[in-house]
Amino acid sequence: MTTTSPDITGITRRKVQVQNNFERRAFLFMRVSGIALLFLAVGHMMIQHVLNSSTNLSIIFVAEQWNSWGWKVYDMLLLGFAYLHGMNGFRNVLEDYIHNRSAIKIINIFLAVFAVITIIWAGYAIAAFNPEAAIQAVGG
Amino acid sequence: MQVNLRIRRFNPEKDSKAYWGEFNLNDVDPTDTVLDVLNRVKWEIDGTLSLRRSCAHGVCGSDALRINGSNALACKTLVKRLGSGDSVKIQVEPILGLPVIKDLIVDMEPFMAHYREVLPYFINDSEPPENGRERLQSQEDRMRFDDTTKCILCACCTSSCPSFWANGQYVGPAAIVQAHRFIFDSRDEGAEERLAVVGDAFGVWRCRTNFNCTSACPRDIEVTEAIAQVKKVLTTGEI
Repeated sequence: MTTTSPDITGITRRKVQVQNNFERRAFLFMRVSGIALLFLAVGHMMIQHVLNSSTNLSIIFVAEQWNSWGWKVYDMLLLGFAYLHGMNGFRNVLEDYIHNRSAIKIINIFLAVFAVITIIWAGYAIAAFNPEAAIQAVGG
Repeated sequence: MQVNLRIRRFNPEKDSKAYWGEFNLNDVDPTDTVLDVLNRVKWEIDGTLSLRRSCAHGVCGSDALRINGSNALACKTLVKRLGSGDSVKIQVEPILGLPVIKDLIVDMEPFMAHYREVLPYFINDSEPPENGRERLQSQEDRMRFDDTTKCILCACCTSSCPSFWANGQYVGPAAIVQAHRFIFDSRDEGAEERLAVVGDAFGVWRCRTNFNCTSACPRDIEVTEAIAQVKKVLTTGEI
């Protein structure tokens, strides 16, 4: 621990060693992803439901939007942050109520594998989406 | 005024499960406290009613109870605050999350065990000042932990916390408040040891910031704010 003399505000600032455990990193991730989702999710809702009418949402609309890599990246970020944010919240709820350490370890591994597979799968679907083929398929 | 009092009763020698006991009291003064009302029951109606109380002035913290669904000290809760008119209904239960011993008395040991975990005492192994006087600190440094010095360990906060109800391994708000009191003391040198305890998986990260603790505190300590300040130290590494 390093201590400094009181600064101009009269407060003594001290540096301390803190353990960088998983819970600390998960807490920081929830804060960062929460702020990111504030823009990504609200932006998504504004685009889909306010600037465009939700009744007009069709595969053509999606295909036109995903014609741009910018929107693809936007939706992949939304997918990644929202899914991991939700999964970590779910993990927290389960850890509150399941007290058997072995059981919670198995559940956490399952959740992590499930989350990674789902994000890769959905991310691949967005990245590999072919807008022209989709428009042709629906006769647009 | 008239008081209809429902008290959660449980005698481990007779009862297989807890039940509600009902008492109607007349001529209750609106400025009587819930403790006064409970004492009337114990002294005039049913001497077997068990409850903890000591100073009866909100200082010792021994009569923390769940009154009409919210944690409070019975000695600081006036009857008139619980309803208006000539008749008031009051429901009194033991605080949640701790094992009930009898009636309104709970086993405080799990709570005290968490309190001891955070090393709630001054740690400084360096030599004291040469003049033999106290270790000085600025008024601003003292103000940083002023709020958390007010804790009386009544357990109103910890036993109102849903995270603690769900998992008693969580150290709980009161223990974090005690840790805060010493972590933020510029004269103390045990911050890292305490941060290792409250930074654990069953430490501050279990707090879901629902503010039950702050609402319940009879000393008006900003408990959730104190927990947030400890979280900030754990994320920045700076006090």
